[in-house]
Amino acid sequence: MRKLGILLAVAVGLMGLAQTPKLGGELVIAFGTDPESLDPNKITSAPAGMVLTHVAETLLTMDENLEIRPLLAQSWKLAEDGRSLTLYLRKGVKFHDGTPFNAQAVKDNLERFRKATYAFLLFPRVQTIDIVDEYTVVLNLDMPFAPIVSHLTHNFVALVSPKQIAEVGDKEIMDPVGTGPFKFDKWVRGEYVRIVKNPDYWGDKPYLDAVKFLVVPSDATRLVLLETGQVHAIMRVPPLEAPRLRGVKGVEVVKLPSVRTIYIAFHYQRAPFTDVRVRQAFNYAVDKEAIVQTILGGVGGVSDAPIMPLIFGYAKQNPYPYDPEMAKKLLADAGYAKGLKIKFYHPTGRYMMDAAIAQAVQAYLRDVGVEVELITMEWAAYLAFLRKPLEESGFDMFMLGWGCVTLDADYGLFPLFHTSEWAPKGSNRSFYSHPTVDALLEQARVTVNYEARKALYADLIAFLWQDAGWLFLHYEEQINAQRTTAKGLIHHPREYILAHKAWLDR
Amino acid sequence: MLKRLVKHKLAILGALIVLAFLVAAAFAPYLAPRDPLKSSLREARKPPSPTYPLGTDHLGRDLLSRIIFGTRVSLLMAVISVGIGLAVGTPVGALSGFYGGATDMVTQRIVDIMMAFPGILLAIVVVAVLGPGLWNAMLAVGISFVPTYVRVVRGAVLELREREFVEASRATGASGLHIIVRHIMPNCIAPIIVLSTLQMASAILWAAGLGYLGLGAQPPTPEWGAMLGEGYNYGMIRVAPHVTIFPGVAIALAVLGFNLLGDGLRDALDPRLRGRL
Repeated sequence: MRKLGILLAVAVGLMGLAQTPKLGGELVIAFGTDPESLDPNKITSAPAGMVLTHVAETLLTMDENLEIRPLLAQSWKLAEDGRSLTLYLRKGVKFHDGTPFNAQAVKDNLERFRKATYAFLLFPRVQTIDIVDEYTVVLNLDMPFAPIVSHLTHNFVALVSPKQIAEVGDKEIMDPVGTGPFKFDKWVRGEYVRIVKNPDYWGDKPYLDAVKFLVVPSDATRLVLLETGQVHAIMRVPPLEAPRLRGVKGVEVVKLPSVRTIYIAFHYQRAPFTDVRVRQAFNYAVDKEAIVQTILGGVGGVSDAPIMPLIFGYAKQNPYPYDPEMAKKLLADAGYAKGLKIKFYHPTGRYMMDAAIAQAVQAYLRDVGVEVELITMEWAAYLAFLRKPLEESGFDMFMLGWGCVTLDADYGLFPLFHTSEWAPKGSNRSFYSHPTVDALLEQARVTVNYEARKALYADLIAFLWQDAGWLFLHYEEQINAQRTTAKGLIHHPREYILAHKAWLDR
Repeated sequence: MLKRLVKHKLAILGALIVLAFLVAAAFAPYLAPRDPLKSSLREARKPPSPTYPLGTDHLGRDLLSRIIFGTRVSLLMAVISVGIGLAVGTPVGALSGFYGGATDMVTQRIVDIMMAFPGILLAIVVVAVLGPGLWNAMLAVGISFVPTYVRVVRGAVLELREREFVEASRATGASGLHIIVRHIMPNCIAPIIVLSTLQMASAILWAAGLGYLGLGAQPPTPEWGAMLGEGYNYGMIRVAPHVTIFPGVAIALAVLGFNLLGDGLRDALDPRLRGRL
């Protein structure tokens, strides 16, 4: 199924190449969430990454088949001992403002990136950045950091003009000046971001004159816009509508994998979830298979690890079976035979059917005597609420998703489970903390050997599974749709639609 | 009076509809075939059938049972929010109309400001400040009803205070409060009853609107507006239209019932009011 998805994504990409591309035109892509920023140092979400990747390029990239490829760095070399990474840069590249791309530009960007709190998780071990010559840069590490190469493909590590960095100072970049095939044009918050062709692009020049990313939060509205031909592509088709949409003339439905895992995290430092029996009971109480089949219409899979199967380090576990009797027994053993009350926070409209899934979980927990109060918030307020320090945290459990876009378990687990990543600093918003987990996460970072590293993650995931730090739900797949007149669009597992090589058959 | 009401055929229809909903609300646990909160995902989005007369929703809950229990929520919201409007608006309107002058000036300008906002918008603002939830939604709708009561009662009082019986009472040395309570209010009851019946219809509609937007009753409470919203938002409107249609029919019927009853009452209680409310 996954393979099929990837093949499909490639097929859509290839179909564009079969005909002679036509030049010009503006392509419109409708997505659900306005970017929170366009500053590589500030963005945290896939929608923002999707826009930015057209404008500002990274040193390395990950293609739609999840292979690491050169981009602004033509090649790279990791030292035997894992303590230095040499990057050989592409020559003859210019930023949109005319500034040449060179070693100094890379250093300026990475230094700026290192100051950002969130970006810190990508570069914890980089001590110095040396310029060897105009087109060679060396990152020196104090100890090996195994995931560094995959981290450099992360779209948040996009490079902007050093001139812009100097001008912007500590402020936020709202109009990124990168090296990409498109230049930033205009951003009307909550409405759209528009980018225009970069005629001086170093690689294959884009066919389109412009691309507009239209912000349309309502799933139903996006669907109508596509069906009436007002937009060329939409993201996140409601799964129940997909079968019908497949029959609509001039529309193509694209199903492909995503790297996103959806989970419900328990407040690990607060009763009742300090008791492992309660955490396990919740896992037994919910029928994940029914959620995936019925609410998601089969667009996704039941989680059998805290990261999804495509990611390096994935180790398959047995999902907790749906067993309400077992759940009741565990709750009774933990002293909650008479039931308990829980506050459950969840987003609405951020993930596929998120509110409906929260309701289903509420209903399942009701069956085992847990009274759940559902509380929903607007996305930005929700993230802010979940970024409070331990003393101010107000939830019992919450629903969130994590896209492991580097395809490496370190990015999928370290920020969410390591004690040093507790909110408000990092993304461990449920205050998970266990010495075994911390030790394994740290060890896996400094272990460069492929098999040894894989074994460490297998141990780690088995432990996390038993410890039930989350109510493990599912991993998502994506359903996008596009007009058949839009050729050469690439639908990417990172939840991007890429228009780099797209053209309009008008 | 009762005779005039009975003659009004549409009013009878309205009364019957309202009565039906009242019965449904009162005896919900006996009428509903199933537990309105019990979900079984594997039975989700089933179309109407003998097992589920109105089908099931996205979580496999029985739609008929939810609509029957939803009657309780909608009527409760209607009664409480109309009650708030009545309790606050009537005395304010009476005092404003009776004393006139500066009191009248100030209250009426405040009412003007409140009326400048569309009612539902005012309610949304109140909920946004207080936070979503059933009780806050009632309060919000109630607050947005206040200006209407103030206006209607003031209008009636303005007319009544000039009448001979008020003058007579005043001549005997009765206090203003005594006159309002003993002589004026009894004569205001007709418009208040009519207005309240009509406002019940609005309250049900607004409560459903807030529920639809996710600002009213919170899941899993069965509330018509929220149910309708779920049918639409979860992409079921084409796949399983019954999830959206039946709560919508319930809302429409309830609103129709109260409106017809209100119209009939207006004609029956005071023919002079015709066309004024």
